[in-house]
Amino acid sequence: MRVGMPHMGNLYIPFKALFQRLNIDFVIPPVSNQHTLSLGVKYSTEGLCIPFKLTLGNLIEAAELGADTLLMVGGYGICRLGYYAKTQEQILRDLDYNFEIIKLSLSGRKLFGLLKLMRRLSNNASWFKIISALRFGIVKQFAIDKIERVVQKVRAVEQIKGTANRLYAKAIEAIDNADDYNTLKKVQRDYIDQLNHVAKDTQAKPPIVGIIGEFYVVLEPFANQNIESELGKLGVEVRRRTFISTWTKFSFFFNSLGLDEKSKIHKAALPYLKRDVGGDGWESVGEKVLHAKEYDGLVHLAPFTCMPEIVAQNIMPSTKENIPVLPILCDEQMNRTGMLTRLEAFVDLLKSRRRACNNNQHRGS
Amino acid sequence: MEAYLGIDVGSVTTKLAVVGKDGELITHVYLLTQGKPIQMVQQGLKQIEQQLPKQVNICGVATTGSARYLAGIIVGADLVKNEITSQAVATLHHIPEVQTIIEIGGQDSKIIIIRDGIVIDFGMNTVCAAGTGSFLDHQAQRLNMSIEDFAQRALDSKTPARIAGRCTVFAESDMIHKQQMGHRTEDILYGLCQALVRNYLNNVGLGKDIRPPVVFQGGVAFNQAIVKALREELNTEVIVPPHHELMGAIGAALLAQEETVISNNGSKFKGFEVSEEQYHISSFECKACPSLCEIAQISLDGHVLARWGGRCDLWERSPSN
Repeated sequence: MRVGMPHMGNLYIPFKALFQRLNIDFVIPPVSNQHTLSLGVKYSTEGLCIPFKLTLGNLIEAAELGADTLLMVGGYGICRLGYYAKTQEQILRDLDYNFEIIKLSLSGRKLFGLLKLMRRLSNNASWFKIISALRFGIVKQFAIDKIERVVQKVRAVEQIKGTANRLYAKAIEAIDNADDYNTLKKVQRDYIDQLNHVAKDTQAKPPIVGIIGEFYVVLEPFANQNIESELGKLGVEVRRRTFISTWTKFSFFFNSLGLDEKSKIHKAALPYLKRDVGGDGWESVGEKVLHAKEYDGLVHLAPFTCMPEIVAQNIMPSTKENIPVLPILCDEQMNRTGMLTRLEAFVDLLKSRRRACNNNQHRGS
Repeated sequence: MEAYLGIDVGSVTTKLAVVGKDGELITHVYLLTQGKPIQMVQQGLKQIEQQLPKQVNICGVATTGSARYLAGIIVGADLVKNEITSQAVATLHHIPEVQTIIEIGGQDSKIIIIRDGIVIDFGMNTVCAAGTGSFLDHQAQRLNMSIEDFAQRALDSKTPARIAGRCTVFAESDMIHKQQMGHRTEDILYGLCQALVRNYLNNVGLGKDIRPPVVFQGGVAFNQAIVKALREELNTEVIVPPHHELMGAIGAALLAQEETVISNNGSKFKGFEVSEEQYHISSFECKACPSLCEIAQISLDGHVLARWGGRCDLWERSPSN
């Protein structure tokens, strides 16, 4: 038995740690790239979204590398995603791959589902071993996300553009290679230290842009054309709520204690949208309302044909909380030049708004 | 006399404009890009050099439009600016009270919303070229008339035909259908103009707060029939400024002035001699990762000036290194 699974940003790193510690045979397909996308597009219906196409491409590439046990998320109450594993299974069967597909439920008891699955894949390893392997994987994810939060700040103000990205890539590799908690701790400390010491423009007051929208395209740089890095090049500090570590913390632990990080966001959205519309649509509206005062602007990422985000996109212009929003649709036809032109114009807009705002304050005082 | 040069290399046309210290237009060039941006920038520079009065001195250059980076490398631009900002700057300079800018060019169309002299929102056509200049050109050709005659004929229409304008493919088959039904050509043409205006407002203008004064610019603003249809649909006055087709280039020139005055370092302009240089363009597939990006490079005398087209920074080189 050899396990394979689709990519989503850095998610392969904690899973790799988990598989290694449980002696599960696994393959990691190449990170999502043009070839993955071409495979996904070739075997999908046109109207499906880019998360479907890319994850299908990943599964095909994993199967090509000999994976015969494929993991894919599923569940009810999310969006069409709930049915993707089933559809992809059918497509892969039609392509004559021999495999078993295992659906990891995103509804119901997520932690318990994952633990049970690991027990099955590891051929009944002890619960102690499974829990400690999972803990190590989660700690790795927390380290990655902690570093990434620093990278988002450094990119905007670094004197030599690209320094933070290079350090980030090295950090990811070091975290991936770390075998124990001590090394992991040291790697995390070292890289945060190095990032803090990057030569920066200390005078700069970078505009702050929040990234909101659909979970997968926010977290998968290939799907969003590396938008955070591009914004960093334009001197923008990026912030986002969506991190795998945050999701894990709440879905695995805090939610069962009755704590939900989203309740504040949903409450903020209430005057404009009173219920879940699937996916992350409700949260997108809520985040616009919440961040209108803190941030300079928002970039709203959505897969093309994503119903929940289209609902959100159409509600956003009518909120009384006012903040510039740049909607960007991600799909295989996305034109990079067009996206960069929009980003540049958007950043110009944010800067001139800030200037006008400052002038008004001066006049007022 | 101090002057500033703005170069706007669009998908269909290349525009160069020289403005004086107070933003007045000194001279300009309007060329078809014909898929050869480098040659057209060079040719444009040559023409500008000939047209430029003797005592004028170029003190700053900026480029804009979809080939802005390429053009910027060739001329040694002080600033490379996106076309949305450039257009807004030029329009605000000429019509400070503007609240809405509608721009329809060769392959793209945009809307810029301005309040109190600041851009507060903008939109660009996303997936389709419906309603842009190229499509109008194509339809005029199909009817065997020049684009100028197209507008004149359309204005003669008394009972415009209803044309489906959501998609150019459907619009074309609907036009053929109306022809075969026996509708008059001018009614079909004006019907098409109305359909394109509706399409623009429903797509690019969706959810935007369009308030007067509305300024209409870009190559398509030459077409009086579209102007009329826009006026009727918006039910407000639509201003078409003089030199509306040059707004991107004029805006770039104004920004070049701002940039060189602020930095106070003198201009990086390489001079009109660059119109004689032989640039070499090539491309290759990067094999560093499975993404296989197509990297384009431009070189002069075997020396690489710039590379671009990658998803990461591996090949990116600014002209200064």
